[in-house]
Amino acid sequence: MSDTSTPGDVEPGHDHEHHHEGPGYATPQAAIEESEREQLAYVMSLYVGTDVDAPDFVAVVDLDPDSETYCEIVDRVEMPERGDELHHFGWNACSSSCHMDGLERRHLIVPGQRSSRIHVIDAKDRRNPELETVIEPEDVFEYDLSAPHTVHCIPDGQILISMLGDADGELPGGFLELNEDFEIEGRWEPPGEIEMNYDYWYQPRQNVMVSTEWAAPKTYYPGFDLEDVEAGNYGRKLHVWDWEAGTVEQTIDLGEEGQIPLEVRFLHTPESTHGFVGTALSSNMFHFWRDESADEYRAEKVIDFESREHEDWDMPVPGLTTDILISMDDRYLFGSNWLHGEVWMYDISDPSNPRRADSLSVGGTFGEIQEVQGRELAGGPQMLQLSLDGERLYWTTSLFSSWDDQFYPEEAERGSVMLKADVDPRRGTLELDEDFLVDWGDCPAGPARAHEIRWPDGDCTSDVWQ
Amino acid sequence: MTSYEVTLEWTDGRTRTLDVAESQTVLEAAQRVGARLPYDCRSGTCITCVGRLLGLGDDGTDDEDASRPDVRDAFAYRRQPRALTDDEQDEGYVLLCIASPQADCRIEVGPRVRAEVGDSPWA
Repeated sequence: MSDTSTPGDVEPGHDHEHHHEGPGYATPQAAIEESEREQLAYVMSLYVGTDVDAPDFVAVVDLDPDSETYCEIVDRVEMPERGDELHHFGWNACSSSCHMDGLERRHLIVPGQRSSRIHVIDAKDRRNPELETVIEPEDVFEYDLSAPHTVHCIPDGQILISMLGDADGELPGGFLELNEDFEIEGRWEPPGEIEMNYDYWYQPRQNVMVSTEWAAPKTYYPGFDLEDVEAGNYGRKLHVWDWEAGTVEQTIDLGEEGQIPLEVRFLHTPESTHGFVGTALSSNMFHFWRDESADEYRAEKVIDFESREHEDWDMPVPGLTTDILISMDDRYLFGSNWLHGEVWMYDISDPSNPRRADSLSVGGTFGEIQEVQGRELAGGPQMLQLSLDGERLYWTTSLFSSWDDQFYPEEAERGSVMLKADVDPRRGTLELDEDFLVDWGDCPAGPARAHEIRWPDGDCTSDVWQ
Repeated sequence: MTSYEVTLEWTDGRTRTLDVAESQTVLEAAQRVGARLPYDCRSGTCITCVGRLLGLGDDGTDDEDASRPDVRDAFAYRRQPRALTDDEQDEGYVLLCIASPQADCRIEVGPRVRAEVGDSPWA
């Protein structure tokens, strides 16, 4: 199903009724029921940090098992300049705008993490998206912001982007707002609310947003240095915002066990005040929730991935839980331990007490499976995406060009891969699909890295409900 | 097939006695009967599953006993227990995901045991 179609424009096989007029789905369960199997994926693809002299691109991957080009990159939208470091991206509209007549989920907002250039891609033709507009870095720097990261739409058609640095790549970061014509509206929050920034998620019915912390761009751009951790240059705090006012109401220091909190996810049900954040360096999962009696949010460590010993390392190897997501039915938390080489699923039906359901040991430093279809994996599982029905988990292997070069230098030479596991959400199991492999090593200009994955019609890490 | 009686003693006072074949790890035997023990790597590279030997057989000794039995006599390892130092092994710590018993024994288990063993620099 494509929700670019206007209401009343009935496509063949599109026989179910919509009870809303705007983009997306009325509820998370409606997304599960009404969506069809993902036929395409958009994947951030990049040449930054390799010897290939070519711009980064958005790959369109064929995921239709009945197609002759299944598992192939069937289109590439090249960026106009080199060196962007495409990383995360998002839609101009999601299910949070499903009350908005006339608004379509049609444009992808594609920031360059390293360049601060912001691209707008028109994906009306899902198979052949086209670059529409570019916001140049200088126009971003005017607001004393740089290093764009997470893109979410705001329910009325605007777009909010977390920005990790100031114009010089130092702190503080902030949030940049675009209007529905993809022009910079301005800074979303009053300056000085936060120092470090990274990912954010909002839960509008609870009037709350939670943001996380990586570091200043000048700290993480060159690569990872343990001395920066010791010097306190990496983040370990959660910021709880008043969503309407754009102000920080509470800051939670996660402490030593909460170093580098990256991806943050609320449960999809709009009533919920529960969510999870993965603290990548400490490799722990924190559960956060609103404590009604104390009238504030609390965060508690609920999963601890122990470091492992490896003969090639001088110190224990952390799991590095770089990505997490929650299934659309809010039953499972999925995650990746990029350095260990593991994807896992935990039952979160009791969010305070996650229960390990299953895991796959694949790629990375310790993975039991190190090649698929004869292709050496050359990296660990990293960015995840789950089908809306929760039955297929996909992942790519690149984290960030300069960090890849430190931990998996081979990935620059061989390129990234995209892999898939079949999920049984009733039995809580994961099984690697060895017939599935998308290889960025085969790209025409040379091997490329692959990062975030999105489906054309909403996914478990894009859609929010009012 | 030779098997041994291994008694798991949680720090909250619960106990459970398992029959563990000498070819089986303690974790495998526990999982087979539905006794939940923490684990992660299943290859001896992390300390998630760590337990501590309390005594051999049904000898009534406890962890205050000066003559603590040598953990190396009580278990055979399937792989190198990379995550434990020699000192930690001297103190009776054992990685249950790769350890098979060589004698009847009692082991202290659960997350509190893991908290006693030194932490990684990554927290």
